Amino acid sequence: MEFIKLACRRVKALFTRNAIERDIDDEMRLHMDLLAEEFQRSGMPLDQAKHAARRRFGNLSAIKENARDIRGAGIAGDLLQDVRYALRSLRHSASFTTAAVLTIALGIGINTGIFSILNSIALRSLPAPAASQLVSIYQNFRGVSKRSVHGAGSLFSTSEYESYRDRTQSLTGVMSYSMPSDVTLGGDMPRQTAAVFVSCNYFDVLQLKPTLGLGFTRANCNGANATPVVVLSRDLWKDQFGADPNAIGKNILLNRKSFTVVGVASEGFYGTEIFKSSLFLPISTQPDVLPGLDMYHAERLSWLTMIGRRKDGVSVDQVRADLRIISRQIDQLEPGRTTDIITTRATSVALPEGRQILFSLSTVVLAAFGLVLLIASANVANLVLARAMGRSKEIAVRLSLGATRARLIQQLLTESILIALAGGVLGSALALWSFRGLLTVVLSSLPGDVPPVAIDSSPDLRVLLFAVAVTVAAGIFFGLAPALHASKADLQSTLKQDSGGGGRRTVGLLRGGLVGLQVAVCMVLMIAAGLLLRGLYAAQTVDPGFSYQNVAVVSFDLTSAGYTDDKADLFQRELMDRAKALPGVDSVAQVGRTPLSPGRSGTMFRLPGEERMHPVDFNSVSPEYFSLVRIPIVRGRTFVEEELRGQPRAVIVTEATARRYWVGRDPIGQTLTMGLGPKHETPMEVVGVAKDTQITQIADIPSSYMYVPTNTRAMGLNVLVRGGAGFLKTASVLRTIAHDLDPGLVVRINRLEDNLEFWRTMSRLATSLSAGLCALALAIAAIGVYGVVSYVVSRRLREMSIRIVLGATNQAVRKMIVKQAMRPVAVGVFVGIACAAAVSRILEVVLFGISAFDPLAFLAAPLLLLAIAVAASLVPARRALRADPLAILRYE
Amino acid sequence: MAMKEIDLLQGTLDLLILKTVSSEPMHGYRIAAKIQELSDEVLRIEEGSLYPALYRLEQKGVIQSEWGMTDNNRKANFYRLTRKGRTELESETESWERLSRAVRRVLRAIEQGA
Repeated sequence: MEFIKLACRRVKALFTRNAIERDIDDEMRLHMDLLAEEFQRSGMPLDQAKHAARRRFGNLSAIKENARDIRGAGIAGDLLQDVRYALRSLRHSASFTTAAVLTIALGIGINTGIFSILNSIALRSLPAPAASQLVSIYQNFRGVSKRSVHGAGSLFSTSEYESYRDRTQSLTGVMSYSMPSDVTLGGDMPRQTAAVFVSCNYFDVLQLKPTLGLGFTRANCNGANATPVVVLSRDLWKDQFGADPNAIGKNILLNRKSFTVVGVASEGFYGTEIFKSSLFLPISTQPDVLPGLDMYHAERLSWLTMIGRRKDGVSVDQVRADLRIISRQIDQLEPGRTTDIITTRATSVALPEGRQILFSLSTVVLAAFGLVLLIASANVANLVLARAMGRSKEIAVRLSLGATRARLIQQLLTESILIALAGGVLGSALALWSFRGLLTVVLSSLPGDVPPVAIDSSPDLRVLLFAVAVTVAAGIFFGLAPALHASKADLQSTLKQDSGGGGRRTVGLLRGGLVGLQVAVCMVLMIAAGLLLRGLYAAQTVDPGFSYQNVAVVSFDLTSAGYTDDKADLFQRELMDRAKALPGVDSVAQVGRTPLSPGRSGTMFRLPGEERMHPVDFNSVSPEYFSLVRIPIVRGRTFVEEELRGQPRAVIVTEATARRYWVGRDPIGQTLTMGLGPKHETPMEVVGVAKDTQITQIADIPSSYMYVPTNTRAMGLNVLVRGGAGFLKTASVLRTIAHDLDPGLVVRINRLEDNLEFWRTMSRLATSLSAGLCALALAIAAIGVYGVVSYVVSRRLREMSIRIVLGATNQAVRKMIVKQAMRPVAVGVFVGIACAAAVSRILEVVLFGISAFDPLAFLAAPLLLLAIAVAASLVPARRALRADPLAILRYE
Repeated sequence: MAMKEIDLLQGTLDLLILKTVSSEPMHGYRIAAKIQELSDEVLRIEEGSLYPALYRLEQKGVIQSEWGMTDNNRKANFYRLTRKGRTELESETESWERLSRAVRRVLRAIEQGA
């Protein structure tokens, strides 16, 4: 009860501040009157008695301030007063306020901006009604022996999905969908577009009824006898049907199969993954659409993601427990296997494997951006500190009048937080507006073969909370140390002396520490940018070890176009023959994966007499491949005709592979067993050794890599064409040939050089981002050094003047100032170099062979930073020296 | 006019205030005067310590204040003990007794022994 009464009084106190103060006044007055009366009784005249009473009473305002604190006009009440006071004093020093707010706005702005993008990728709920009920479900096996994977190992097979769908108790529904695949949309102008195979209840579970048409019905999903149907994205409906409302019931050709349009998805819906899909097909149509690989009927094949909708009042943990019961039942049919169920709130990147990559990536990015905020905050901390020192007299007066230290700290912090708030609001507003534009630029500068992504970076509650948290943290960070410091002022000396606060040494230390911190952080960013810049240069000039100039890559997807082996043989043979006959064409070859294309093909192999399987990257190539891309066969020979048909099985290994597995032996004639596909363990013989080149990743020689022969009956291959009369001409001729052979086939023609472009773009993006951040950091840090030195110089004008009057040269004084200013800078540089060395390895991927400890970057960046710091400290030093020392001394 | 001849131990002032207001509600001046009187002028409570202590105790909920009239019709803030204050007073008194007994014992022992 007492507590409630107290609480009521506190709240009331907020509104009845004046009443409380009046009460305290009344109480004090009575006491003084009574005291005066007592003195009077002991024989003092009235006025003298009053005077004595007042003196006895001591420091009235101290008692009052204390009483107010305890009486709980309290923190909340003071807050209003503090805010008013802070606003007034900030208005009085407009230049300080502007500088501080802008610096913080910059720091908070870029952090909010980058977070809004990460948020939209990894944290934002799916664009569906009541999306918080949706749960993404994955699995993880222990002790599994045989499992095929299409997409990721944590996906489900069709029969597993059906078990969960039918047996769940905790979900109102479970839907599933595949990873997007490219399919050919037929018509006058065939083109490829991304399709996703979805379970029939896909739109029901998401509660996103198609806006046009009924969508899938039960009859569409009866497997073999069902008519093939499709739901289109709104964009595709506009493109393909000109937004015709009568499109429902019409047919479209997908991979040469006819599909009936039964629905159009709602505006802005492109599936639940980050990469956009524009076609939604029942999962049962998968074998028809992508012949040759039946994922729908396959047992133990991971290809489906599941999303369930929770029943009311059921937690995600309860869902997991429920699904675990079902997984145990499935495990019983698969002896030796244990399944762990992974459930997460559904987001557009929910796949555990994807989240892991995204998580480490965003840690690096957020850290880099956070560092800039740190530098900015340190700057403002120094400004606030200088200001607090300038106000040390005011603070000392307030302390001596009885204000408590806590009260003063609260007040100084209020000021800092107000600055941070203003900066936060300004910065966030600018960021949310500008990052959308920035995002468009970045996305459009990505290489062409990166599929379109759906990113909605508009702010939501999470972004808002992030901005507020960062703002308050920044405000406390740059406000607390100066506030603690300033409120510790030594009253005696401060009040007596005109300038300088108490504890000058510690102020200097704090100020130096802040500069050192800035410099260290700046150093890390600069070295990172320096390394990336070197990497960028290396990427433009790197020699991958094969010849990529003047080679056209013809790619097409025969599988999705419904080709048979015979048809593929006919098409590819004809295409290659005609290409070879073109004027200027030197050679034509087939290759599974063009060198340095993103992604990789891997398998396992075993050496004779060994149990252990070794992982290896491999590529399928035709015999002419090596001469076409100028990769020399250093021992043995390339494949011969009969090996292309698989008899006998031959393999060519790289030099590094030979060194690794057949040390001191001749690799030619060695045998191994390669696992091509789950059931095909094939014995093979090494017939040649190819020179090491950068094949899978730029600036990286794979330690084991093998080539297997291929032929024109195989699908999923690219045709390389070297020579011809310029790329554009060759490309158009090749396109005509392909069109002649099959007008319905989508053919892409690129330069082989474009593969390097992918890596160069990554490096360009990373470099421009880090260079931008670095320039920003450098500018802020330089301003910081400049500010501190100016302040110190202005405080030491008198000392400098005396030195000069006593005969010191300007140069000597200047040297003294700069030397002193450089002390924290030097410490910061060393700390920064050490930190950079500790973390620079994470950049290795985009360094293209430049060492993560590249001496040039590690030397040039510190020198540049030091030069800038010296320049920043010289400016105020010179300005001070221009003043007349005698005038200064006379004034003081 | 001795201002403060004995340094009060931390918490002792609180105990004295609680004890003083336990008999009847009284205002600040009366509390100080009464302590001074009862201690034969040895303990003089400075106003600068009295009021903060009163507010603190009130905040703790061991005393409560109310505006009322003094004997000669002046408006004054009267403090009285709450139920919580009574328990507090008992336990504080007891621990004070224990402390002073212990101190006395030490003083005596050293006087006699060494």
